[in-house]
Amino acid sequence: MNKDLLNILLNSNKDIDNQQLMDYLAGKLSEEEKHAVEMQLAENDFMSDAVEGLEIVKNKRDINVFVDQLNRDLHKKLFRKKSKKQRRKAVQQRWTFAAIILILVLLLAAWLMIVKYQRLRHG
Amino acid sequence: MKEDRYQHITDKALLEKFYADKDNQWLGILMQRYTMLLLGVCMKYLKNEDDARDSVQQVFLKAINELHKYRVDYFKSWIYMVAKNHCLMKLRDKQGKTPVLLDEQTIAVQDEPLSQQAHLDKDRMLDAMSAAIAELNEEQQQCVTLFYLEKKSYSQIADITGFSMMQVKSYIQNGKRNLKIAVERITKQQ
Repeated sequence: MNKDLLNILLNSNKDIDNQQLMDYLAGKLSEEEKHAVEMQLAENDFMSDAVEGLEIVKNKRDINVFVDQLNRDLHKKLFRKKSKKQRRKAVQQRWTFAAIILILVLLLAAWLMIVKYQRLRHG
Repeated sequence: MKEDRYQHITDKALLEKFYADKDNQWLGILMQRYTMLLLGVCMKYLKNEDDARDSVQQVFLKAINELHKYRVDYFKSWIYMVAKNHCLMKLRDKQGKTPVLLDEQTIAVQDEPLSQQAHLDKDRMLDAMSAAIAELNEEQQQCVTLFYLEKKSYSQIADITGFSMMQVKSYIQNGKRNLKIAVERITKQQ
């Protein structure tokens, strides 16, 4: 009891278990398990707000469908962003490559001119 | 992307990996941990499934852009703040009211446990808690005791007391807040 009294004001950083949350919303948990989830709700504003909102969703089965759709959209966004970044990087690499080739060509031309000039002087 | 493989990696470690190589796959793993909670938060404020889903997408987009621009230390508090502010702004646009927006510091402070607790010895803390509980009003005292000490669920407390579930939640939340204030006052007096 004493330990419980001290625990009232502690905040928890427990991991979020989506399945447990869904079971809680569906009323599938035992009283003991419900209490464990509600302890987290009382300590965590984010989770408490979320449960309050998820309770409003008319068909609880839709929650998982919505979450899957949102996760798919999220990956599309992240992938698109990654592709743009990769394209930008590829363009940069092409310019670097072109600059190196140009410098090499100029060096070669300069060397050829020097050789030609020396031959003219000696010959 | 398989989420399970990364379950052992903390949010902080995932952010570190992202900041090290700027690979968006780390953001994907991190953000989808919170999709359901974000959907719930947006539902709470907007009360509409389509609006809530749109808002979660916008929150994701905002998070992706901002995480590329600056460093975030406490992702969970930060993304909660981003979602809450987004919903409040959306409500403002609808109702023409100016909401009080939260900043990262406010959220971090809210998340902190009672700071003085660590410095107090157990006996003094217990005395303070007992005194603080006695100061709560009857309803809060009853709900807090049943919930924290007798480990009853909200529905069991509602059955015992005759309060609605919403009232039980509210008495526990307000009771906890009042306890915190009272304990701080009592320990200062000691």
